[in-house]
Amino acid sequence: MSEFSHGIELQFASVTLGGKPVLEDLTLRLTEARIGVLGRNGSGKTTLLRLMAGLIAPDRGQVRVDGVDPFRNRKATLAALGILFQNPDHQILFPTVEEELAFGLVQQGLTPEEAAGRVAALLVAEGRAHWAKVPVSTLSQGQRHYLCLMTVLLMQPRTILLDEPLAGLDLPTQARLARRFAALPQRLVTITHDPAVLAGADRVLWLEAGRIVADGPPGEVVPAFTAEMDLIGAQDADADLAG
Amino acid sequence: MERTIAYVALFAALIAALGFMPRIDLVAGVPITLQSFGVMLAGTVLGARRGALAVLVFVGLIALGLPLLSGGANLWTVLYTPRIGYVIGFPVAAYVTGWLTERLTGLPLGAAAALASIGGGMMALYAIGIPVAAYMNEFTLQETAMGALAFLPGDLVKAGAAGLVTGQLARMRPGAVLSRTT
Amino acid sequence: MLTPTSPVESPYSRWPAGVKLALVAGLGMVIGALSHVALLAMALALVWLTFLPVGRAEAARLPLRLRPLWPFILVIGGWHILRGTPDVGLAVILRMLIMVAAATLLLLTTRFDALLATFSTLFRPFERLGLPVERIALALAMAVRFIPVLSQRAADLALAWRARSARNPRHRLLTPLALSALDEAERSAEALRARSASV
Repeated sequence: MSEFSHGIELQFASVTLGGKPVLEDLTLRLTEARIGVLGRNGSGKTTLLRLMAGLIAPDRGQVRVDGVDPFRNRKATLAALGILFQNPDHQILFPTVEEELAFGLVQQGLTPEEAAGRVAALLVAEGRAHWAKVPVSTLSQGQRHYLCLMTVLLMQPRTILLDEPLAGLDLPTQARLARRFAALPQRLVTITHDPAVLAGADRVLWLEAGRIVADGPPGEVVPAFTAEMDLIGAQDADADLAG
Repeated sequence: MERTIAYVALFAALIAALGFMPRIDLVAGVPITLQSFGVMLAGTVLGARRGALAVLVFVGLIALGLPLLSGGANLWTVLYTPRIGYVIGFPVAAYVTGWLTERLTGLPLGAAAALASIGGGMMALYAIGIPVAAYMNEFTLQETAMGALAFLPGDLVKAGAAGLVTGQLARMRPGAVLSRTT
Repeated sequence: MLTPTSPVESPYSRWPAGVKLALVAGLGMVIGALSHVALLAMALALVWLTFLPVGRAEAARLPLRLRPLWPFILVIGGWHILRGTPDVGLAVILRMLIMVAAATLLLLTTRFDALLATFSTLFRPFERLGLPVERIALALAMAVRFIPVLSQRAADLALAWRARSARNPRHRLLTPLALSALDEAERSAEALRARSASV
């Protein structure tokens, strides 16, 4: 798949939300297999994820995913890129497991019958054939995370964006999911505030107030980030009110 | 388009969830149900077209047999009861409520939404509900209208609440009150 | 909460949902035209008899299922007696009971997805007239997904209220509940866009 994939490109991309600049003049070319984006709450990292995924358009500048505009060309983007939301409850749209899994496939152009066949095959391969008719509301938190990952993988995108993929999960579930991510052939872009998640990354970007402040291998970026966070944590920062 | 589908689906779900909520005692001893409040709110928040669509989706759900009408009823179990007129009237009520909210722009949103709820969620709803109930029960229109008077105070309070809630929502999520943004 | 019935295996379960739906609708039209009390009483007895193939237990439970109708029976019956038309009142009440019984039997023997499929087929012809059948089906499915979410939210809000107040929660829960609906709508619009080409 790599010969079609030229990765994610941003050129002078800026995003303003509610009159406030959130991302400013970002120029990036992401081609590595494992990429991390580190940042504090409010640094703009979720906005960056939305921008790369084509959920929002830049106010200025350009975004390209494997050569296409992800905001305008949705059809091509579906094959290029998938997103795993931080909270599975913000991702699941349908009442039963099979409907949730089939939706994206139908959007990619499969007939409902073909999609149902692919869903059934996947559930069998994953040893979860009994899940098909189960209401999503009865799944546990960990099972819902797993369902969301299956939903994204079923669409076979070349790149997957992960938003805080391990936050709020118990340790065995974290270990299981991390192993699963590590084995994926796709390019992964992981967005997080937790440097520990990025141990195996090829490249880490540190985002602060909508700008990249460091960009390099995790061995360089992570220690600098951790030192800065310790420094900020030592101050009584919570007393500030965000404007 | 995605936003329209999502808002329509979520308001249909909200109307259903309001039906599950325990009845609120308005004045001690007079319980009111919140489903018609949900219909008013669909109009005041989503506007005429999307509000009516949300209520139509709700009616579709009860037509599929889901027991979402307050008290656990669905479309088929109310079909030959006096309630059917009000169920049929729901989408129209939401449309009129939304239409009025979109046009009463001279008033503050809360007041406009309360007035629109009286126009759509009460007057338009009664205009359909009362004749149908009269036909179903083989009562005269006057008799049925007299009976409907019992609901008047509760419905007035709901219309007021719809105005209040719409105003608060507009302050907290200005972009999400579609009746005044698009 | 959302399964209308736990479908009981019965001879009717194998009948196509569309046929059962047409029978219930047809019955509704027939009894609408009948005003003879004895005929209506016979129709009610007949509908009750059709419960037997489903099982004696279900047939015996029918009066229990009809019990929530008592306020209507009281008001309609009482007023018709007062105005001197008791037989008309009885006919109205019988029609109501027949329809609720027939609808109960339909839902007792038919799965939700079978009914959904029937409705989609029924509305498919209107697609050419501009009715967005696919989008409506999508909104229906999403609404079913979010009903338990919003009901749970309502219950959580009531709990949070009781944790800090001795009085019963009242209208003040309505704004936060509606706010949840708006926020869920924004998030699911985004999730929809993340996986769809052009809905």
